[in-house]
This record gives sequence, C-alpha cells and structure tokens, in this order.
Amino acid sequence: MKNSIVKWIVNFFKASGEPGLDLGRRRLLAAGVVGLSGGLLFKANPLSGDRSYNPELIRPPGSLAEDEFLERCLRCGECMKVCPTNVIQPSMLEGGLEGLWSPVLKMDFGYCEYKCNMCMQVCPGEAIRPLNLEEKQSVRIGLAHVDKSRCLPYAYQRSCQVCYEQCPLPEKAVWMEPKVVVDGRGNQVQVKQPHVNADLCIGCGICENKCPVSDQAAILVTSVGETRHIKNQFLTADRYSG
Amino acid sequence: MAKNKTSSFVWVRRLSQSVFLLIFLYLFMLTVYHPGNETYGPVKLFFNFDPLAMLTVLLGGHAVPGALLLSLITIVFTLVLGRWFCGWVCPFGTVHNMFRGIRIAKGKDKIKAGSYSAWQKGKYYILTVVLVCAFFGANPAGWLDPFSFLFRSLGLAVFPLVNAGFEGFFNWMYNVDPLNLSVITEPVFMLLRRSFLSFSQPHYFWGMFFGVLFGVIIALNMFRARFWCRYICPLGGLLGICGKNPTLRIKVDPEKCNGCSLCVIECQTGADPMGEGKWRPSECIFCRNCESVCPVDAIKFEFKLPGGESHEKQHS
Repeated sequence: MKNSIVKWIVNFFKASGEPGLDLGRRRLLAAGVVGLSGGLLFKANPLSGDRSYNPELIRPPGSLAEDEFLERCLRCGECMKVCPTNVIQPSMLEGGLEGLWSPVLKMDFGYCEYKCNMCMQVCPGEAIRPLNLEEKQSVRIGLAHVDKSRCLPYAYQRSCQVCYEQCPLPEKAVWMEPKVVVDGRGNQVQVKQPHVNADLCIGCGICENKCPVSDQAAILVTSVGETRHIKNQFLTADRYSG
Repeated sequence: MAKNKTSSFVWVRRLSQSVFLLIFLYLFMLTVYHPGNETYGPVKLFFNFDPLAMLTVLLGGHAVPGALLLSLITIVFTLVLGRWFCGWVCPFGTVHNMFRGIRIAKGKDKIKAGSYSAWQKGKYYILTVVLVCAFFGANPAGWLDPFSFLFRSLGLAVFPLVNAGFEGFFNWMYNVDPLNLSVITEPVFMLLRRSFLSFSQPHYFWGMFFGVLFGVIIALNMFRARFWCRYICPLGGLLGICGKNPTLRIKVDPEKCNGCSLCVIECQTGADPMGEGKWRPSECIFCRNCESVCPVDAIKFEFKLPGGESHEKQHS
C-alpha cells in the first residue's frame, strides 16, 4: 500500500495510460506571453505605481493601493450586493481595462454610510481590508469640494445648508460662512456659504448624494486625499502640525 | 435490454448539486446589510474553497487571507479523487447542468457534440494566461472565476430584475386591486420584503450588460453541454490539471460493450468514457451519466492506483 502511494506520486506527472493533457509547449508559451504582456501592460498603466490618479476612481473604504487592490480584487460583486446604499458600482473604464468590473463608488447612486463596514466584512480576497467600524470611520476615501458655480448660496443667493446638515461626522466637515451678497434685483441678502474642512472630511459623499442640485451636485467628492495613496494627498493642517 | 432507470449514483449527485446551489443562493441572500452591521452567515464560504482565487491572490500579492487556505482541501481532494468538484459542488456548473437540455444537436451530430474536442484545451490556456498575468501584477481571475461570475450575474442583473418584477406586480395589485385580491397580496408582499426582496430596489450601472452576458454564457449550452465548463472555466482547468491522475477510474467491460455510444452522448464534459486508453480523467467530472445510461452495464468506476495494476488483475 505504502509503495503504491509513493508510486502514484512519482507517476503523477507521467502518462497514465489515458490520453494525457497534451497542451503543447508552443501554445503554453504563447499563453504565457499573453499573460506576461497583460501583467506588464498593467505595470505601464499610469494608474498603477502612484503616477497619476483618476478623480472618479473612488474605491470602497479600506481598499488597498491600486496595485495591490487589483492583485486581490476578484470582481465577485459581494461588496456591491451587500452595500446598503447601493453606492458601490461595477466600474467600467475608470480604472483602465485592468480595473473592469471592480468596485467604484458613485455618489449619485448612494453614499458611504458612516456606521457601516459591510463591504470589508464580505471581501473574499481582502482587497478591501477588514477594519473595525472605528478604524473605518477615520479612513478617507476622497474629499468633497464645493462647486461655486452651481451651489445655491454662492451662485443663486438662496439659503441652503443640506450638505452641512447631512455630514455624519461629529465635528462636521462642512462649515457655513455667513455672508451678505447681492441678488439679481440688487437687494442685499444674508446667506450662509458652505466650505469643506479638509482636515475632517473623509469623502463619504452623503453631501453630494443629498445635494438639491440633483443632476451634477454642487458639492462633489473626488479621490484626492484618499488614505490608500499617500501621494494623492495634500498637506492639511493636522499634517503640518503632526 | 434498454433500461430506463437512472442509477442511484446520479440521484445522489443531483441531490448534492441541489444542496450546494441552494447553499450558494442562501448565502447570496444573506449578503445584505443588517442593523447589527454584520452578516448573518459565512457569506464568502464558496470563495474560501476556490483554489483559483487562492492561487492568483497568492501569486500577485505574495500573501493570502487565511480563510482562502481552505481551498487546499479542494486541491487535495481533486488530486486524489479527480475533478468531482465541478460535477458535484460548483453552483455555476449546476446552473449549466440545468440548461443542458437545450442542446440542438440531432442524430449522428449528437455523438460529435458529446465527445472530446481539442478546443477543450482552451481552458488550460486561459488558466495559464490568468496565472501568469496575476503573477505580474494584475489579477484577471475574477472575470472568469465561476463563483465570481455567478455571484456578479446574480447580484448585478438577476436579483435586481426579480426584485423589480415582484415590486411591479405587487404594486399593480395594490393600485388596481382586481377582485379585492390586495387583501391577500399585501401581507405576502410584506412577508417577501422582510425575507427575500430588497428593502429598496437595487440599481447597478450597466446591469443590462451583465444580464445579457449571463444569458449568452447560459445559451452556449445549446452548442455543447456545459460549454463554459468544457472550454472556458479556468477553475475547471486548474482542477483538471490537479485531477489528471485520480485514483478513481473508469472501467469498461469490452465483452459487454455493444458500442452504442450512449455514454458519449450523455457525457457532460466530453470525457470520452469508452474505456481505458480513451477516457480523459482531466475532463471527467464524475457525473456518472455514462454508467447510469449504459444499457448493458458495461461501465463501472473503481479505485485503482495509477501506475500500479488494478485490483482485479492483481488477484487473477
């Protein structure tokens, strides 16, 4: 019995009487070259290796840096299924062809719920790192910025503070500046204009999602400031002092 | 002489396939947000037993989440016993199995459609591309991994479609209220919403595309049974390589065999179950259709250590 097991192991790679797997060296080599080219083309992609960043490529919270992310993402859609706000969407070409069907956050579909870390719990390849809720709440996925040409208090002299009200952070990453402006009839009007505090904003996108300017919100989240790419961040006050 | 009874082995297989498909669907339904902010079950269980996921993540990332190491069980099982996983466990394989009946081959073409084709090597080349590409940085396994493919198709296309259908129907019943039936349908709707349907309609970018892709892959069963498993599936390729020399082997009695070719026609994956020297263990998923369908009971599967003599020969 023992001998035959050894024999079986030894014979595993030899022909076994049945038609074997005759794959052909040339064809295997060709397949290898295709795979190699694919891998190297990804390395040459500007989005890999901290060269450039797509502002629309906002990954789920806790995602690894783009290189490592694409090594681990299985495009299974578990995070998209589990997300309670439907914000996680299959990407098309935001991350290049190599990022096809990987998860990307589209704030016009939803927002990243502050008290939820389901996507990191279900990711089978751990491309989204499994963090606890407290850690997740300090992870930045992007940064909001106000579009002054569309924002109601800036562009149309109307009161609005939806983004301020919706911001889930205890200290509020949006603050309102009281200002006296002139409206279309020449009257002086008192409004409050929103500003984003870059030290606090984690880019959850609820402000963009709930903004009453619905087609393209007057406050938008882009990927800058994301925790996963150190070079895609600018110096904020806490980092000056720290 | 012809027998119409499906062997008990095939029924056991169908039971196993149904159970695993139901587990997959159940875990799929569990993959939702709960107020406690945790999933009520091991929702990534199938991926943990997926050696393709484990291998590509390991090759690319040089590290692997611990739970994925469960897939080593799949590998060892396949090394010893052959590619059972595809025929008995894989939920995507079961879905293809369910649509096997839409074959269009007639008459003599049936034998051609059932037997091995050199194109079946395609999945091994696809596997090679996937592994090499994963090693050099970009992991393409997810596009073609069967669990990924099934979960993605269900999540991004089938479930939103089903949910929209149910919601549309029950809303229509509520608004139009034919024969006062809404008295019955409203509680049913509430019950379904609490258990099966989503609390809000899911929307996915390009959902139609994922639906069409899923439909096309299923429709390929028209040309060959289990088209995906035969020609495309890289996990099938990986398990085919692992299972190239299994201890459980086909045994055909040449004296009984009348050459009717029913076994070849009924073979799900073109494994040519016509006896030693013809049977292809890397393609065989041990569905046991050949054994079941043989009118003269010439086909059996028995344990035999490859490289060694079979037990019968040793005794004689």
